[in-house]
Formats: sequence, structure tokens, C-alpha cells
Amino acid sequence: MAEPLSNAGPLLSVEEVHKRFALPHGLMRRLAGKPPQAVNALNGVNLQIRRGETVGIVGESGCGKSTLARCLVRLLEPDNGRVRFEGQDVGELKGAARRAFNRRVQMIFQDPYSSLNPRMTVRQILSEALSVHRMRPAAQIPERIAELLELVRLPQDAADRYPHEFSGGQRQRIGIARALAVEPDVLVADELVSALDVSVQAQVVNLLLQLQEKLSLTVVFVAHDLRLVRHIAHRVAVMYLGKIIEIGPTDRLFSQPRHPYTRALLDAAPELDPARRGGQAATRGELPSPVNLPAGCLFSTRCPHAFERCFKERPLLSPRGPEHRASCHLEHFGLPEAAA
Amino acid sequence: MTLALPPSARRRAFRLPRKLPAPLLGGGFILLCGLILAVFPSLFAPYDPLAFDYNALMAPPSWAHPFGTDNFGRDVLSRVIHATTIDLQMAVFATIGPFVFGTAIGAVVGYVGGTTEAIFGRIVDAVITFPFLVLVIAIVAVLGPGLGNMYIAVGVVDWVFYARLIAAEVKVQKRLDYADAGRAMGYSPARIIFRHLLPNAITPAMVYLMTDMALAILLGSSLGYLGLGAQPPAAEWGVQIADGKNFMATAWWMSVFPGIAIVIAGLGFSLLGDGLAELMRTKR
Repeated sequence: MAEPLSNAGPLLSVEEVHKRFALPHGLMRRLAGKPPQAVNALNGVNLQIRRGETVGIVGESGCGKSTLARCLVRLLEPDNGRVRFEGQDVGELKGAARRAFNRRVQMIFQDPYSSLNPRMTVRQILSEALSVHRMRPAAQIPERIAELLELVRLPQDAADRYPHEFSGGQRQRIGIARALAVEPDVLVADELVSALDVSVQAQVVNLLLQLQEKLSLTVVFVAHDLRLVRHIAHRVAVMYLGKIIEIGPTDRLFSQPRHPYTRALLDAAPELDPARRGGQAATRGELPSPVNLPAGCLFSTRCPHAFERCFKERPLLSPRGPEHRASCHLEHFGLPEAAA
Repeated sequence: MTLALPPSARRRAFRLPRKLPAPLLGGGFILLCGLILAVFPSLFAPYDPLAFDYNALMAPPSWAHPFGTDNFGRDVLSRVIHATTIDLQMAVFATIGPFVFGTAIGAVVGYVGGTTEAIFGRIVDAVITFPFLVLVIAIVAVLGPGLGNMYIAVGVVDWVFYARLIAAEVKVQKRLDYADAGRAMGYSPARIIFRHLLPNAITPAMVYLMTDMALAILLGSSLGYLGLGAQPPAAEWGVQIADGKNFMATAWWMSVFPGIAIVIAGLGFSLLGDGLAELMRTKR
């Protein structure tokens, strides 16, 4: 794992981003005078991503991690708050500046079966990206395509074939090659390998790691698989109900989680060795509906440690050590002596 | 560590599959024959389609007149062959315009969605409320009979069917990740709609186009039958059937042979449509 290349100001920063998706406001609800409802996908997310680092974003399905990824590449517009790239508000970019942003912040999608246009050959997919962003003069495009295929370790004769002729892992490599074609600074990988066989996952993830080092990419790695994130990320952010509830350096966060939810996530990871299996479930109940959020701490409804204050007041993301922050009223949670 | 692919996968781009679907070949063959007849009718027709022969009025099929003659002594075979020109022309001209226009509108409407789609939906409703034939007949009646006006009348009505098909398909396609990938790449909406989504959305419209060409021949024949399409004495299958209807009992051949010609042409287009659908089926 490479160290982050620089500690200068954040390359990409997310400031208090909210995103709601309106639910259909049916006639019966309207007649009954009920207000329109919405899913609260993101509830004030703050995140700084430095140049050259890999940030893992983990959480259960429905915690808003994909929504956050889509806000980062501006596939979705935040309702409130902003995303800044090199200090510039991404929402205000227009024309050429907007295209430049699109080029520099690329996304790799979860589903390798729908993320490639089935009617375009690999060559067409790559050369379109190259020519739209004028990455190379037309004469040099074939050469560049050959380079890209080599970069993602696909055979040269892959260029003239259609996506359906490839396996899932190979398709994901094509997706990576497409993103790399425009020489981005940031790669947002949304569940890069969750659709792949376990045997192929490691190959693709290691490829991403090597490419990151080779091209000094900044990577936002969205996943639900903790082992993968631990393997690849410098820092990890844990999301719950559209909020980051803990963020810290990977080693610290995994060895000493400071939020009950992170603890529960780590405990829930399947363990092969029976001696290391935990005895009790660390959470109870179901994920609350993102339509009606809990009043206090978002995790209070499921937290085994919740006390009165947790149901009334939402805790802030506050420091727990170097670069380590958690949002929990139990400031000493996770510390060895705090158990007493 | 390059990954080897099975040799069976080594197919180059743009090459057709070795085995073309049988319906495509059958339909293509029928229509190719029709096209040859349509372009060079005089090479195949034994007689002048307009020449009267008062010595052979309503002659039954014979070696001299395989399809018989009509009530003016005109050779039915020659008239059926010459009618190919007009009928195939109707099939193409009446449908290409609506196909192109409807596809473009439908693609944009399906992609944009929202209010545009709602307005479009009401326009579609307004058009399809009227029975197709009645609406076309009404428009032709206003514009005046003739082939050119028939194309216009069909075009005014027919585009909504293409637009509706394409809009529905584009709505499905635009939610797939490859459309988002295009947006994340910063591609323009026009590029995403016409280069990415449309090729994946157009198959049903292409298949419908083939069916529609067969329907256009039937419609042209219906209008010809009513005297609103091709004008006498020009040979056209519908007009011929209409002319023969008064003599069904005594000279069945006047209507039956043009009728068979319509059936064969319709079959050709339908087979071609089926074959195209099979050929263009997206592989995932």
C-alpha cells in the first residue's frame, strides 16, 4: 500500500451534501392531505479526499454510498451542500470547464453487464472517449488503444470484439480502460467487483492498485466488502443512513473502531476460525426507513449502547485521534478502559 | 498475464454472422424479386399493361394470358407486374418518413422525459383515438386523392407509432449504466441519445417498419379501392381488386391474382422483419 503522495489541500471535497429522492406523491395521499415523502439518501456528508490517496467508503446497502459516488462525478446534483474539485464548486462548472471536470473525475460502474454499450466494439468505446476529449490526434488513437489494452492486461485482439464476448472480469477491465483513456486524476469505483466471482475479484482489485501506483491516481473505492476495503484503502469512511459515522486511517479504524456501528460491521464479517467468532449480535432490529429518519443519533434505534441522549440529540463527527473521527455520544467507546 | 480467449470468439467487427436467419433470406429473396420486377417491369410483362384488346375481354387464364384479361381486355399478369412499381414505392415512401421522424422525436422524448413526455403522450392519445384508416381517409379527402397526398396523410398519423415505440425503449436504455457512463464522460445529450441509446432501442421500430411496409401496401390498396390512392388507369393491386369486384362471379382472376401479389409482398416484408429481429437481437 503506497503512502498518499501529498498532504496539500484536498483534491476533491464534499461539503454538507444532502440528497433526497422524492417518492411518488399519489392521488390518495394528496387527497388525504399528507405531505409528499422523500427518501433521505444523503444527510449532510462531509469528506475530504487528498491527491493520491485511496478512500474506501463502506456501509450496508441503502446507506447512500452509491448516491455519494454519483454526486462525486456529478451524475447526481446534490440538493444542498457542494462538491469541490481543486477548490472549485463543481455545480457551477459550465461548458469546457465542466467537460474538463468530467474528464478528470471518472467513474467505474458496478454492473459490468450494463455499463458497456452492447453495440460498440471495445475499439469504438475507447476511441470515442479519446476523440471526444481530444486526448490524441486521430492518427495516434490506434496506438493509444493498444497501450490501454495492455495497461488493463487485455489481449490486443480484444479491440475489435463486442462486450458480450467477454467475461465479467474482462468487462470490468474494459470499463477501467475506458475511464483511464481520458487520463483522469480521480477514479470513483462504485462496487467495482461485487458483481464478479470471488476468484476474479482479487485480479481486478490488484490491477486497480497497480494502476493507481503507476498513474498516481486518487481513488474513491465504494464497497460493502470490508476485506477488500482494508486491502486497498488508505482511509475508510463508514456510512450509515446517508451520513459518515466514522472515518479514519484504515489500520486504526479496523483495529480500534470508535463507533458501535463500525464495531458491529467488523463483528458481522464472516470469520473462518471458530475461536475468533464473536458470541452475540452487535446490532438488533432492521435498518430504519430512510423516509422517516430517527430523531436523535441515526444509529440509536439499533445501538446496543444507546442511552437517553442518543434518542434526542444527533452527535457530531468529532475527533478520536489522528485523522480519526466518529459521531457517537460515547466518546470513549472502543477504548480498552472504556469497557468498564 | 494477458487472458486468452476461445478461438470461437475471434470474430472481427462488422462481419455478418456466417449463418443468416432463414426468414431474413426468404423475405429478402421475395423482396429482391419484387424489386427487380418493380424496376424493370417491361422486361417481364408480356403485354402493355394499358393496351386494350377487345377480342379478349375477360378471358380466363390461358397460355396467352396466364392470369387472364380484365373487362377491357388488358392482360392481368402484365398489370400485376407493372403494379409492383407503384406498390413497392408506396411501401417505402409511406413509411420511411414516419420512421425517421418518429424515431428522432421518440428518442428525444424518451431521453428528456418529464413535461415533454407528458405533452407527447397527449399528442399520441389524440392521434390514436381515431381509427387509423378513417383518419388517413379524412386527410386524403381534404388534400385530394393521389399518391403524394396519401404519403402525407400516412406520415401525419404513422410517426406516432414509431415515436411511441422508440420513446419506451429509450426510457429503458437510458437507465442502464452505459448511459450514465456516457454522461460521466461528459458526452453531449445528442451523442448519448443518437449514438449510444438509439442503436440499442431501434430494433422493435425496425421490425415494426417491415410490418408497416406490408400494411402500407394494404392501405394503399384500400385507398386505391376507394379511388383515393393510385388513379386509374395506372395499374395498382388495390385498384385492380376494386375493378374486379363487380365481376367476381364471372371473372374471378381479375381480383384474385392481384390479391395473391399483395399477400406475397406482405409475406416478404414480414419475413424480413422477423429475420432482422433475429439478426439484431442484442447479445448480453
